[in-house]
Amino acid sequence: MHFSAWVVIALIVSGSFAGLLGALVGIGGGLIVVPVLVLGFGVDIKIAIASSLVAVVASSTAAGSVYVGKGLANMRLGMTLEIATTLGGISGGLLAVLIPAKVISGLFAALMVVTSTLIVRSKELPKRAPPSSGENANSVDGQETVGQLSGSYYDPYHKELIHYQAERLALGSAVSFVAGIMSGLLGVGGGFIKVPAMTLGMKVPMKVAAATSNFMIGVTAASSLFVYFARGLIHPMIAAPIAIGISIGAIYGTSVSQKVSPGVLKKIMGVLMIFTAIEFFLKTMGVTFGI
Amino acid sequence: MNSNQESSALATDRKVVQFLLRAGLGLSVVLMFVGLVVSLSSGETTPTPVEMKSLFANGLTLGNHLMGAGVLLLGLTPVLRVLMLVYLWYREKDWKFAIIALIVFTTLMVSISLGGG
Repeated sequence: MHFSAWVVIALIVSGSFAGLLGALVGIGGGLIVVPVLVLGFGVDIKIAIASSLVAVVASSTAAGSVYVGKGLANMRLGMTLEIATTLGGISGGLLAVLIPAKVISGLFAALMVVTSTLIVRSKELPKRAPPSSGENANSVDGQETVGQLSGSYYDPYHKELIHYQAERLALGSAVSFVAGIMSGLLGVGGGFIKVPAMTLGMKVPMKVAAATSNFMIGVTAASSLFVYFARGLIHPMIAAPIAIGISIGAIYGTSVSQKVSPGVLKKIMGVLMIFTAIEFFLKTMGVTFGI
Repeated sequence: MNSNQESSALATDRKVVQFLLRAGLGLSVVLMFVGLVVSLSSGETTPTPVEMKSLFANGLTLGNHLMGAGVLLLGLTPVLRVLMLVYLWYREKDWKFAIIALIVFTTLMVSISLGGG
């Protein structure tokens, strides 16, 4: 691999897009970063996953800080589920070292197909009411309860305060453990299974679930990042530009996500990802179409 | 704790955690960026692996050392966030969640010790 300044700039730009799309479409950075590194830059799959974990910690830290400030991320709920995600993250990181690269590539391609199908089929959320004149970027939208897994948040669409109480913690923890394994094994955040588990299983409102999941991802990805770091799989010249780019993209994307309706963008991204998954699978399995 | 004290404690938690996350991310991005510039300006064009423990020894180029330190600080930022919440929740006498945060912190320490070993 020969890295000129132009390649580094291309990595920063790719990272920025991954961060922006992650914030707008909800596809975490990892599902974009790994295929971009493997297909676009010819990076080995395990090094791509290690770099992706660095990027995922960066984007989660950037977005998480915004959601914490707004009170949308329930830190007590997040911390409770993090017991399971960190155990899963370490297990996934250790498994990744043992499992052959081709199997990991196959799993990653399958994951891309599943998540992109879910994204294409997902229903559009009701549009948010336009911000009132009194609303500002620093206002607090929600609050958790001391000593409990509950809280409240202000729903601007219905203009009312919604109270919630998290239920079925065992189910949420089981899914979080699986999300942690996937994060450590494949370098993704795992929000796409944690969010439905929280909303459908634990009865947590969508906005709170998405914010809490994002807040949790930093800790989950960090738990497996250290395993990759110990195995010498972190190549700073690849990981650093991607992480710098994704931080910029995530900060900008999180700040404009309230104003953007991602409907069409989601469908395009979903279809594009299905094709990328096929190409990714074929390339990493060694199938090439020579000209 | 009455509801006013509870609101004030929650607001402090949010501010402290938000500051910690932003400071950690900001500092690690600066380290990675400076390291990247140093690497490129000294003619390094081949990405080389960096192990966590090699950051505490000689042998790395300055660029890789700085970028590696940036990656380490980035990874430690969520860990420090967990540790900070152990303290904040302990101070609020929210024992249950202080213990939960301590369990998460211990798990992360196991992960880091795997890196150091």
